[in-house]
Amino acid sequence: MTEDKHIKEQKIVDQLSGTFQNLTGKVKRERRVEVSVEKKLIPSVLSYVKDQLTFTHMSHMSCVDWLEDEHFELVYILWSPELKVQLLVKTLINRENPVIENVDMIWGQLNTYQREIREMYGIQFTGLVGREEFVLEDWDEMPPMRRDFDTAEYIKDVFFERPGRDGAKDVREVIATRSGEEIPELAKKYSRD
Amino acid sequence: MPNDKKSQKIVDIIQNAARKHSLFVLAYGTGCGAIEIPPTMTSRYDAERFGIRGMATPRQADVLLVTGYLATKTLKRVIRAYEQMQDPKYVIGFGSCTINGGMYWDSYNTIKLLDKYIPVDVYINGCMPRPEAVIEGFIELQGLIKDGKANGATKYKENIDWYRANQKKVIKNWNMPDYNW
Repeated sequence: MTEDKHIKEQKIVDQLSGTFQNLTGKVKRERRVEVSVEKKLIPSVLSYVKDQLTFTHMSHMSCVDWLEDEHFELVYILWSPELKVQLLVKTLINRENPVIENVDMIWGQLNTYQREIREMYGIQFTGLVGREEFVLEDWDEMPPMRRDFDTAEYIKDVFFERPGRDGAKDVREVIATRSGEEIPELAKKYSRD
Repeated sequence: MPNDKKSQKIVDIIQNAARKHSLFVLAYGTGCGAIEIPPTMTSRYDAERFGIRGMATPRQADVLLVTGYLATKTLKRVIRAYEQMQDPKYVIGFGSCTINGGMYWDSYNTIKLLDKYIPVDVYINGCMPRPEAVIEGFIELQGLIKDGKANGATKYKENIDWYRANQKKVIKNWNMPDYNW
């Protein structure tokens, strides 16, 4: 039933998997298509969907850090004004040596997104032109958006903390005692010692 | 003019009374608090009746308003603006972000306690403080000036090494000019 409903979406997936090897695609829902490709295919897939499948608008590019699986996932989010379909092109990169080809010749705005991802995740884009520093200044730690960057530890080292009031009470406990309730076990770890 | 303590005291009283009624605020907005300044200055709350008005450059201003969170990158600019200001100069910390980090308490890139980096004369709490609270804070500052207690700039000059050490802890690449005030 779903396949009858999403004819144009299914057509995009068929066209892409017919053209490229090792490409897995699926229709997420109406007007939402998701494909995963190898990282070496990214430039050709992006140029193909732009020129042949009318995905002319580059909405966004983002990165997901899959720490447990030891890879980064880059997501290129595209929009076709003609088909009214959003296409997510995903690819996985090795976490140890995160290098991928620069594709800002296809959409100029990718330059900005890629520079941001380079700074925040430490992913290198081969041939990317632009200053190494983007938003942060004099940053010499691990890229801060990586999940193994310990923010709590870092702020304890670098910044000052204002000590709380003497006799400050735990809000959760005060409310619980006032209304005669018990704090659930899962909320107890957030309580003040 | 005889240069004895008594007459100096009289001069100070007159000076402070005059300073109190003309506070020129540096038009430098950081964070979200800058949006509270236009209503404070314009007809509804009309801060100019207290002698508070905006001024374009640090060298002409008396008061530095730090209106919200400061990224370490912005802190560098704020310190530079503060050091350019001429005496007498005062700092007002605005909102909970300057007091204890506010909602950015666990951010890796914003400072939490403003008074470790530049001397703060008056804190206004709130997130964000409304124009009434802002004017209240300015009146507090005027009271301090009148009593001769708003001496943040002197404190800064005396403890410059301590402040510098704190500043250099977050601003790693220190390439700022030294002002010989």
